[in-house]
Amino acid sequence: MMSETIWIDDPALLRARVVAESRRSVLLGAYAGLPNELHYAFLDSSGAYAFSHRLAAGVKARAVSREIPALSWDEREMAQESGIVFDEPADDRPLRAVAGRMPQAIVANGPGLMHFVVGPVHAGIIEAGRFTFSSGGETVVHLDAQLGYAHRGVEKHCRGVHALEAARLIARICAGCGASRSFAYARGVEALAGVILAPEVEFARLILAELERVHNHVGDLAASASSAGWMPGFIMGMNLKERAMRLCGIASGHRLLFDAIVPGGVSETVFADCATFYSEFVVLAGEIRRFLARLFTHRSVLSRWRHAGVLRAEAAQAFGAVGPAHRASGGSIDVRAYAPYGAYAQLRATPALAKHGDVMARCTVKHDELLDSLKLVQETWNRLGGAPLPSRIRFAPREGVAVAAVEGPRGAETVMLHIAPDGRLSRLHVVSASYRTWPAVAFAMKENIVPDFPLVNKSFNLCYACVDR
Amino acid sequence: MMRRSLGIRHLVCGSCNGCEHELNTLVSSYYDVTQEGWDFVASPRHADVVTVTGPMTESMREAADATVAAVPKPFIVVAVGDCAAGDGPWSGASCAGTGAGVELNAAATIRGCPPTPDAMKDGLREAARKLSEY
Repeated sequence: MMSETIWIDDPALLRARVVAESRRSVLLGAYAGLPNELHYAFLDSSGAYAFSHRLAAGVKARAVSREIPALSWDEREMAQESGIVFDEPADDRPLRAVAGRMPQAIVANGPGLMHFVVGPVHAGIIEAGRFTFSSGGETVVHLDAQLGYAHRGVEKHCRGVHALEAARLIARICAGCGASRSFAYARGVEALAGVILAPEVEFARLILAELERVHNHVGDLAASASSAGWMPGFIMGMNLKERAMRLCGIASGHRLLFDAIVPGGVSETVFADCATFYSEFVVLAGEIRRFLARLFTHRSVLSRWRHAGVLRAEAAQAFGAVGPAHRASGGSIDVRAYAPYGAYAQLRATPALAKHGDVMARCTVKHDELLDSLKLVQETWNRLGGAPLPSRIRFAPREGVAVAAVEGPRGAETVMLHIAPDGRLSRLHVVSASYRTWPAVAFAMKENIVPDFPLVNKSFNLCYACVDR
Repeated sequence: MMRRSLGIRHLVCGSCNGCEHELNTLVSSYYDVTQEGWDFVASPRHADVVTVTGPMTESMREAADATVAAVPKPFIVVAVGDCAAGDGPWSGASCAGTGAGVELNAAATIRGCPPTPDAMKDGLREAARKLSEY
């Protein structure tokens, strides 16, 4: 997991290497470091690494986004947040609002086309985002998704915070993928300090990470039943999501696993009551399997899911989608299997794969992953055997730069961290699976009818808070 | 029965989505708020209660004000979670405000990071009581 940083001085060579590497391995993300430093992070089967470059003062950075569209959001963010000036980026708008004003949306114009805006306030209990549809009657021609309404200034706020104390903040950037982010952050801090954990602690972390996948996937499938019009399936699914959150509470002391995974191990509240956890898990696993069997044999649900929101393999690749969205469109990368970390080196996750890229494919991937997650939790629990967990290792953070990625419910959750000699964070950058995948959602809506937006959107069910930060 | 019924409009102002994960469980059979006569409504025009989460962000402020202004009187704003109450983890961050509940004059506050569904039900009952006195 200890990441390698390769410094490249020649801007033309940097650009060529970034383009080549984006096609060869997994693009994690790009960010500006301390003044005028550019970092492009990637993952291959041996782990994460970065190409870094020091930009000469007053010199424009070379944009990569015209060849690698997946980097467009990263470039827009670097320009907006760090003042990096790019030559010829694919999109030169700020990524987020400037002084409370969202930049102009991109729309399609032509005979018979109209535009309408939805958001930032939506009708359900969901996060804020502005969606500008260009449509000809019912058919969507173009969708511009503009997020950023949850931008709190998270990265700046973490600057100067002691690396161990920052863990509490990292857990609260975004609730849906918080345990995975805490996991990645802990691995980064531990790698720099050379901390090695006991196998039992790695087992416990694996179970916690899989529980996060379970409660998210069950919730996503419940929402996908709802958007297909099967309300009993929605209620069954929401009941199981509630049960999964209760199980997270029993496992960790927090229903959303906040602060369960911490640098040096796991919180002392983790598996404090082993007997209750295991008996509840066994019952819930059985009920989730029965729910999946009913959901995936409901013919009208499946009929609504098929052919809706097709994300073609080329588009998923070009926009850099990760996680279930990537694997439902012909991709094969699951960080747990591709670059195994922690206990995943022993307890192998089986990547769930599908080809068609429609709502059905994404739901099928989540279905298969859920079953695999339940199996992994069972197998890992067998190894753990209910023995008391070693307590958290106390250590002093060490200076350095680390990139760490783990497979969260929505794909690669990446944390880039720079620790100063005094143990405080000098730079933190978070690239969530949702950040990587949102541009693909907008693309998947093309040629679909407007009323299918909830159906298509919920099949991704991406978060906003970790994108906006 | 009519006295207790509530139309609840939810407004997200920079929350981490943890409060929303919990609010969403209120529709599950375990908490089933429809039995209380409560409903999460799609428009502020249909609301008696506006639940707000998050520290408030620069980019949400205008839309949040417009949403609350669209609610017919009498209504009540309820702060859900520590961020909305003004002392959450992002208090003091450069683009965060002083708490959505503080900025939007919440008359009731439900504590927690995030609050449990039971705490949310208790807080909403209190909001219903206060509203009946308006």
